[in-house]
Amino acid sequence: MADRHQQITKKATAMPFGLGIILCSLALPGILVAADGNRSEKTFETTPSPRVTVSNMTGQILVRGWDKPQVHILCTVISPRVEVDSEVLPPNELADKIHFSTHLLDPLTVGKDQTADYSLDVPMGSSLEIRNPQGSVRIEKLQSDDTSVETVGGAILISDFSGHLFVRSIGGNIDVTRASGRVEAYSITGDLHFVSPETSKLRATTTSGRIFFEGDFADGGDYSLSAYSGDMDIVCPRSASFELSAKTVRGKLENEMPMTIRHQPATPLSSANSLFGTHLTGKATVSLKSFSGTIRIRQR
Amino acid sequence: MDDTRRQRTAECDCFELELAAYLEGESRPFVPAHLRECRFCKVVFEDLSRLRTLARELPLEEPSRAVWSNIRAQLATQRAFAETAGVWNWFWQWDFLRRPLPVATFACMLILGCWFTAPRNYPQPEPAASLAASRGETDLVRSMAFAGGATGLEQAVRELEAAFKARERSLAPDVKATYEHSLSSLDASIRECNDSLQREPGNSLAHEYLFAAYSQKAEVLSSALEIDEGR
Repeated sequence: MADRHQQITKKATAMPFGLGIILCSLALPGILVAADGNRSEKTFETTPSPRVTVSNMTGQILVRGWDKPQVHILCTVISPRVEVDSEVLPPNELADKIHFSTHLLDPLTVGKDQTADYSLDVPMGSSLEIRNPQGSVRIEKLQSDDTSVETVGGAILISDFSGHLFVRSIGGNIDVTRASGRVEAYSITGDLHFVSPETSKLRATTTSGRIFFEGDFADGGDYSLSAYSGDMDIVCPRSASFELSAKTVRGKLENEMPMTIRHQPATPLSSANSLFGTHLTGKATVSLKSFSGTIRIRQR
Repeated sequence: MDDTRRQRTAECDCFELELAAYLEGESRPFVPAHLRECRFCKVVFEDLSRLRTLARELPLEEPSRAVWSNIRAQLATQRAFAETAGVWNWFWQWDFLRRPLPVATFACMLILGCWFTAPRNYPQPEPAASLAASRGETDLVRSMAFAGGATGLEQAVRELEAAFKARERSLAPDVKATYEHSLSSLDASIRECNDSLQREPGNSLAHEYLFAAYSQKAEVLSSALEIDEGR
């Protein structure tokens, strides 16, 4: 009788414990899902060169080109009060325009809860327009006639891009690697980095950020770099052929490249430090300006 | 048998089938013939006729806005609205065009841009002070033009700044910090350029940077106001 009572007692004790284990193991996947956020994934059939626009608030946006006539999106939001909408035009045919936008279901959602991360695979020839005020943008392997990216504080990283690229950030750094075609990059306080550029036309302006350019100048290329107070570093190979126009109001000019000095224009109205010269045959045109930053031209 | 108890016949069924068409004005000889024979169907006919007359006299009520909004939303979800092509519709998609301050800013910049690029006849300079036919000449023309056109741009920037100050509290803290840092940087560059121009009024590069700083400040302020309005 006592043994039977002990058995019953043991069972009674074990049961809640076992139930707890079962409940926890059932809850664990739910917690993981919750921690992982709300993910959504979708694929759209498109024309070979659709226009894709993304309007986000904060989070990371990654766009990669691929060789399929499809746009594939994987989107993750932290808060259930944030929703990602998509609008496809035309609606019942191959998409020529797709617009993704993040919006708040609850206007009181603030801070990190507004985060939506996008990962997009788009056809190589897609045109992009991306606005991500508080987040970063990364674009890889795209051949686009028209791509524009704007952030406020987030960094913009572009690599292996060809076509027309317009990037602007108020305070974020801009990195452009192996880009060809036409590139325009603007920031106020962010740094601008151009590595292995293959562009034929480059416009870059920053106010207090720095500019770093490492690479060769394309024959017939036109390069215009302007930094107000930040320093400017140009590192190019010995074989670079360019015609240089460099001037600064209060900054310094440091040049390591052997140059054939051109006749400097007589400008009694300007006391800027300036250097006008030609390296080798002057096939590219390079204009460097600063107000108080130092301009350095070095040989790689 | 009670006379008031209706005895439904096959003719009554036929009458009901043809009644609607008769009331719409179609020729249905059976209907008036049956009305002469059947008291009950006659009562039904008179009731329906009265209802039609009263319905015509009811005032037309406009549905509430919520009804139209719901209908439009339903149609939109069914993608019933095709996007009409056209330059104007494409143009009007740019939201910032609907806001007066950014539009005024860009209008000022456009006018100043036209001012800069318009051909001008300046007195021929002295040979000793001749400028090279290159970017130096262009910079000098632009700097002189800016001296005349700076007032409009300054005014536009001041108005944008006032609007920004009024709304900056609604920006997210990190966004606000970024904007304030950039505006501070631009203000410093404007001060330095003005100092430089006071010492050297003809410094074309300083003029160029001063104009660029004002333009960038206008763009930054417009961007901040757009973000605020987009919330």
